[in-house]
Amino acid sequence: MTSRPPHRRCPEPCGIVTHALVETRLSEIPGLRDTPAIPGGPTLPPRFLRHCDEQTVVGMHAVLRGLASTGQPLETFARHAVVAAPCHAGRFMAARSLAGLRQGGPVMVSTHVVPQGSLHSLAGAVSVGLGLHGPHIGVSGGPDALAEGLLAAASLLRTGTAGETTGVWLVATAWDAEPSLDAEGTPLTDPLCRGLAVGIEIGHAAAVTLSLDLDARSDDMASCDTSNPSTLLADVAAGLTACREQAATWTLACPGATGLQFVVRPQQPRVVAREAA
Amino acid sequence: MTTTLTREPVVITGLGAVSPLGSSFSEIADGLLAGRSGVRAIALGQYAREGTQFAAAVTDIPLAPATALGIDPEHFSSLQRLEQICLSPLAAALISSGLPRTHDMRVGLVLGVGAEHLKTWELDFLAGGTQVRETHRDPTLGHRLARLLGLGGPVVTVAAACASSGYAMALGRTWLDAGWVDACLVGGCDILSPTAIAAFYNLRALSRRSDDPARASRPFDRDRDGFVMGEGGGFFMLERLESARARGGTVLAELAGVGMSSDGTHMVIPSSDPTQAARAIAAALEDAGIAPEQVDYVNAHAAGTPVGDVAEAGGIRLALGTAADGIPVSSTKSMSGHLISGAAAFEAIACLAALDRQAAPPTVNLDDPDEQCRLDHVPHVARPRTIRTAISNSFGFGGSNLCLVLRQAA
Repeated sequence: MTSRPPHRRCPEPCGIVTHALVETRLSEIPGLRDTPAIPGGPTLPPRFLRHCDEQTVVGMHAVLRGLASTGQPLETFARHAVVAAPCHAGRFMAARSLAGLRQGGPVMVSTHVVPQGSLHSLAGAVSVGLGLHGPHIGVSGGPDALAEGLLAAASLLRTGTAGETTGVWLVATAWDAEPSLDAEGTPLTDPLCRGLAVGIEIGHAAAVTLSLDLDARSDDMASCDTSNPSTLLADVAAGLTACREQAATWTLACPGATGLQFVVRPQQPRVVAREAA
Repeated sequence: MTTTLTREPVVITGLGAVSPLGSSFSEIADGLLAGRSGVRAIALGQYAREGTQFAAAVTDIPLAPATALGIDPEHFSSLQRLEQICLSPLAAALISSGLPRTHDMRVGLVLGVGAEHLKTWELDFLAGGTQVRETHRDPTLGHRLARLLGLGGPVVTVAAACASSGYAMALGRTWLDAGWVDACLVGGCDILSPTAIAAFYNLRALSRRSDDPARASRPFDRDRDGFVMGEGGGFFMLERLESARARGGTVLAELAGVGMSSDGTHMVIPSSDPTQAARAIAAALEDAGIAPEQVDYVNAHAAGTPVGDVAEAGGIRLALGTAADGIPVSSTKSMSGHLISGAAAFEAIACLAALDRQAAPPTVNLDDPDEQCRLDHVPHVARPRTIRTAISNSFGFGGSNLCLVLRQAA
């Protein structure tokens, strides 16, 4: 091959303008489902979350919190893209539909299983719930969802016509332990679900920058446990909170690449040369 | 941000497909241009409804491309149908590109599959398994396929409902632009399953015709009553033009432009306001640096739903303006059915067929065009025409809008 680039970094640093983490037990999700708004944030359409998957409810609330923390009107984000990276979303709905299919035939399959239980559904809910017009995609669906989500978010910021997409909401969700279900699709445990929303924009205006490196070395591996996608979300959220003071680095498994390293660091103050009086 | 990006062209150098119309480019192109339907009556056994149901099923998933890459036939047979239907055309695309498989080659994979886990759990459930109740955190399909093919670049699975494989093409192009990969396999496939058929039927999205399977899929026709499900899809090898030329690779077409947007209005029903669909089309033309008058063929998403076809026709007219009066538009879903995740990739192949054969494929069954879908239709038979540039629309649940521009190789 010719013209092989020497190193594969995200072409330009992205700014992280906000982030928010929601942690909730499965048993508490119905309460979130009935709460279409949080103080200082936008309001979702009535009963919007009624048929959504549990991870969608948690991810959506993470975005609402992130939006509220920016203090910006929703219109500011009208052309933002959404990249949603859930892990095994839609499983409860699938289990119930499959049980229904076996017991009562095709008429028992829920009309919500495709629009609300597929990989795109969390991204679609954020896009529709907030009326965003940038592209929205679901990514991965498995344990490496955050790494794939970061790659996809960085990709969307550069895809198509320059200037079309103003930023990306990256939303990742996961259970701390995948719940077991009974034969009807009812969960037998009460696991914790985490949803992390990160607002990413191209440019240098944000206080925190994000850079990606696809050629990270194995000795750069993160100190946190990256094998549990839910624990990773909590670790990244803590790192994003702390990184206004100091940089944080994670190296995630990224099949095909040596490792996907992402670094968040405080924005360095610009040195402006002044002419001598 | 209004940076002007100067791009080196990204081109298609390899192609693989599995579809109701065949698995080779020539079979598919011949079928589409002859107006051949792949829709048949299907047997759903204990999960059938009363009456006959139609779908465009894949009758044969070729094993040969996989074995040519050293994959054990017994292992191929042991894979789930979703894995087989992706692996076969991926291997075919890799082989047809002629790319040398060297250790330091960074070949990425962007897999457009919208419901991998739903399908995996269902197939397991129907075989008597309990994965849906006791899920383990196994690597995703994309990672397993990349490992089987020995790819050396990053892997992402992307889902945008019925636009999934088109988004995969868009992201792969960006990876090449960014220098993250030397080449990238992009595309997607889907499979028919009892749950998917039941769910779309219950949503009243499927055609309820039960007389003649070949007549059931009727995009833009006044008597359309929903789409007919299909399965299969396609994959492409993308490379930078300079790299492809340097190694003597065959350039099939340029992926010249991409445009994307979201309606932001409903999880299922496309917006009746064509603004966002038109924005995706206009952005794709701008990305390709062409005016509406330079579009020679439009492969419409048009699945045959009463609402969706009207919305798309409005979007095409808004984006192309008066030029729309002279640009042939057709929906190949009238022949292939709706391949869901694989639809955008298959319809990109239909555009390559139009570029290769210099003819616009027809919309079969378009007996009585709906006046709300007023376009320059190609009813029943292919229309010979000079085609240098084709665009392909894909729209998905959640209001995903995507447009690709495919241009004849220079």
